Amino acid sequence: MKVLEAKNLTKWYGKEVLALNKVSFEVDEGDFFVLIGPSGCGKSTLLKVIAGLLDYEDGELYLKGTEVKEIPPHKRDISLMLENYALFPHMSVYDNIAFGLRMLAKDRSEIDKQVKESLKLVGMEGFERRSPLELSGGQRQRVALARAIVVNPSVLLLDEPLSHVDYRLQRKLMEELKLLHKRLGTTFILTTHVQEHGLSLAETLMVMNTGVIEQLGKPDDIYARPATVFAARFVGDINLFSGEVVGKRNGRYTVKTELGDLQASAEGDKDYSGHKLAYGVRPEAVLIGRDASQCENHIEAKSVSTYYFGNSVECLFEARGGLSVRVNMAPEAATLPTGGESVVGWYAKDAILIEKPSVIEGLNIEEVIYGK
Amino acid sequence: MLLIPGLILSVIFLVLPLAIMVVVSLYTTAPSSTGYLPIFTVENYIAFFTSPQTSVLLFNTFSLAFIAAITCFIFGFPLAYFLTFHIKSATFKNYVITLLIVPFLIDWSIRTVAWIAILGKGGIINFSLMSLGLIKEPLEALLFSRNTLYIIWLQTYVVFMEFPIYLAMNRIDPDLISAAKVLKAPPLRVVYDIVFRLSLPGIMAGFIFVFVSTLGDFITPNLWAGGVQTLGFSISRYAANFLWPYASVLSTMLLIIALVIMYVAFKVVNIKKLFYE
Repeated sequence: MKVLEAKNLTKWYGKEVLALNKVSFEVDEGDFFVLIGPSGCGKSTLLKVIAGLLDYEDGELYLKGTEVKEIPPHKRDISLMLENYALFPHMSVYDNIAFGLRMLAKDRSEIDKQVKESLKLVGMEGFERRSPLELSGGQRQRVALARAIVVNPSVLLLDEPLSHVDYRLQRKLMEELKLLHKRLGTTFILTTHVQEHGLSLAETLMVMNTGVIEQLGKPDDIYARPATVFAARFVGDINLFSGEVVGKRNGRYTVKTELGDLQASAEGDKDYSGHKLAYGVRPEAVLIGRDASQCENHIEAKSVSTYYFGNSVECLFEARGGLSVRVNMAPEAATLPTGGESVVGWYAKDAILIEKPSVIEGLNIEEVIYGK
Repeated sequence: MLLIPGLILSVIFLVLPLAIMVVVSLYTTAPSSTGYLPIFTVENYIAFFTSPQTSVLLFNTFSLAFIAAITCFIFGFPLAYFLTFHIKSATFKNYVITLLIVPFLIDWSIRTVAWIAILGKGGIINFSLMSLGLIKEPLEALLFSRNTLYIIWLQTYVVFMEFPIYLAMNRIDPDLISAAKVLKAPPLRVVYDIVFRLSLPGIMAGFIFVFVSTLGDFITPNLWAGGVQTLGFSISRYAANFLWPYASVLSTMLLIIALVIMYVAFKVVNIKKLFYE
């Protein structure tokens, strides 16, 4: 069942800035829906529009089948955790969490019970009398989360909930958010600009770019089949080359690029013959040395630099024409010294063909790929 | 070390005169060239506490100042609120703030007398009401009553209330208001629970500014409020008649009561919050 539906939602800031440009999407009940995009892409604006804090100029927005344009925020069955948490500094932790319940005119014992429960849920028992000003970033976040969920909304909006805490805490909170979502069964809509968060938290992922939706789908689908160059870049890492499809034989395209003719599997209904497009391959699909020689695509390249990540190593290779190829591999496979010559290669099935640079019209694909 | 010059100036121009005033209040009234003899006595204070006039004076003075402060709050708070949260244009904000300051650029007497043209016998209000046939005789009470006094004080002092509140409101994170709205708070609850409570230091500062200023203003009440007896006016009368000790008693008592009220106010609300986090 759909809990939220947006049709051609349009939002202007003043007369110049178009923050949301005819955005249309649906959110299923109980979904973990993640909006991902760079800062300024309109994801926070969209959350505020859904919460009713911002008005929209055009289009429709339905919450559980009801158009909400005229409904003020306090009458919407929605809760929002703001990016800076916005805890009330003049109230204790208890009063902060009880605030929403008091507004709903619940009786005292009920409020007390629910505040205690939600504090337990976020692991902050015993902090009732504290002022939010005395809490650490992580603790504030938990209180803000408890405050947002205690009113038991149909949709919980979380604006960049992971961006102001350190890396270790981020991982922990991600796990907790996932567990919480499972336990509550509430629809979560979360924004983030960090791709790992989006990929690992989302059941449905929506990639946004300056007010438009680049792609909407399951995270693994978007990763495997990005619809646009923008989506491919924002969801995971990718090597991209500009090319033109010059032939199709035995279920394979031949794509002419600056690296030479490259092979790609031809799947799907669409025929790319003769098209100018982006030829991409994910760094973890690129092999080196003897493994590479066996692939349909292999080229000679020189190792330029190596980045060690503990569980993996990323090598940057320079191929013909100064084009770089990034390779992600297991640490034990990274035996090549920097500056060494090798062969890098990948199978045709791992190649990703992307026709459009972005859903935004009028962009030159080559310029988008090489950033010229 | 750097505080020493300021300290010296404070002592010479603030502490010393006040100390002299307190000392004089304990001298004996006598028909000498100064109006008193340096003989210590508490008779003046006994007279103050036993005089039937005292309670009237105190009540008039403090009730006028209190109502003035409340009036200024009633107008100043919504003004600061709209200026902070509803007016986006910086130019328009500047216009409003300038308009609030303009009365200060005009001399007190002109500013006050200007009200005659509005509230006087032949003033705009009486003229309009008579032209409309609503009244036959001009309303005198319009010009000389406590209400007139409050209107004039409002015009003069509302800016003292409005600025500290505006300052406090500007420090409120707009996200707190968003959070309250999303947490089901209807508009008036948002104003009370978030805006009012978080601007309390500003409100208290404004309240003290207006309260203390109107407490000491003895000309305006005497001129416009139909001869209402205030402490300030009594002090000026006693001083004019060279009854320095009794004038000093009244001044000292006014000072003490004002200090006590301010002390209590500072205890209740932390005004420092207006300037620091």
